[in-house]
Amino acid sequence: MAERPINNPDDIQLLSLYIDGELDAVAIDRLETRLEREPQLRAQLDTLQKNDALLCQLYKSGPATRIPAKATVALSSTDNVVVFPARRKARLPFAIAATVVMGIAAVLVQQNLMTGAGRAPGMDQGLADALETLPSRADGWDTLADGSQLRAVLTFPAADGRWCREFMLANDEKHWRGVACRDNDTWVTQVMGSEVFLEQQTHYRTAGAEDDLAVARFIDNTAADVALGPAQEQQLIDAGWQAP
Amino acid sequence: MASLTPQQKQALMAELAGLKRFGLSLTGNPADADDLLQLTVERLLDRGMPEDAHPAKWAYRVCRNLWIDEIRAREVRSRHQQAEQASDTLQHISPGGEDSAQLEQVAKAMANLAEEQRAALTLVAVEGCSYAEAAEILDVPIGTIMSRVARARQALADSLGWDRDKL
Repeated sequence: MAERPINNPDDIQLLSLYIDGELDAVAIDRLETRLEREPQLRAQLDTLQKNDALLCQLYKSGPATRIPAKATVALSSTDNVVVFPARRKARLPFAIAATVVMGIAAVLVQQNLMTGAGRAPGMDQGLADALETLPSRADGWDTLADGSQLRAVLTFPAADGRWCREFMLANDEKHWRGVACRDNDTWVTQVMGSEVFLEQQTHYRTAGAEDDLAVARFIDNTAADVALGPAQEQQLIDAGWQAP
Repeated sequence: MASLTPQQKQALMAELAGLKRFGLSLTGNPADADDLLQLTVERLLDRGMPEDAHPAKWAYRVCRNLWIDEIRAREVRSRHQQAEQASDTLQHISPGGEDSAQLEQVAKAMANLAEEQRAALTLVAVEGCSYAEAAEILDVPIGTIMSRVARARQALADSLGWDRDKL
């Protein structure tokens, strides 16, 4: 009888089904007979079971078991009010209560919003022209006619068929991050938040995490597809934002 | 279905540890897993669930769907931005103690698995889900769960080492 290859995938799958209790009685009998006769197969089973035990130990002790207190508290409350303050900074861009986001977005969508960092710039012709013609970039800045610095960050299609662009804007030592969408040949700011840039030109952090989250959430809720690549974006710009 | 019943809340409370582990298997990162768990709870509180829904299965599915949304959002955002570097990965969940070196190896091997294999293996081997339950949660055929679990186990064993003395 030909020797079976070590770690035959079919055997691993069979052993896996056996471990998980997914074999019927006949198949179990057949496999257990083989296990008595084939020490190699038995050793494989032992290894898989030992690893499963280690996996359970890993996931059921230490950091993996720590539950954020806020989640427990929320479920313990007698009503369904969601109160989750002070979340970790935007590692998950969507990570903010929907109710809070909607409130923030409703305010931020106004183009002349006052925030702690000052009045957000509105959509003027210079910014609109720049969004109409300049490609997105990962770093560096384009200088607008009024001296503002602009970095178009990305372009994405919205679910309603409009084209939208995320951008960063700096002027008078104030920095902003926002999204504008092209509506009837006009760029309209949808959301804008204040930013504070770090020393390195290509890195930045937000002054208000809520602003950053609101922008992220807006993109998350609005984008119908992934952002365009550079070539696609240039094609679109060249075509006057008319999709081919 | 705008709110959770006390019974549903109680069932979810009992499921938080499992949801955290599931989140960990999806994100590969303890901090992201915490955020995902938190968001899952928020979503459940905000939108509720059908009275006849199985609370645990429903919650796992919400968690998974939120993670898919997140992946999509990250994909959109990362096209022109530098990807954020995860500073604390799955490799850092080892609980310490006398088995810590071995558990660190397991954590590292898990971190190297494909996300879908990690999620399937965690649901089945750690949470004790049947293949049918895991398939329902991950919205894939049972056969897919079967192959993902087997491949994950094989990859783990390949990484951690088979018991060569006996093979």
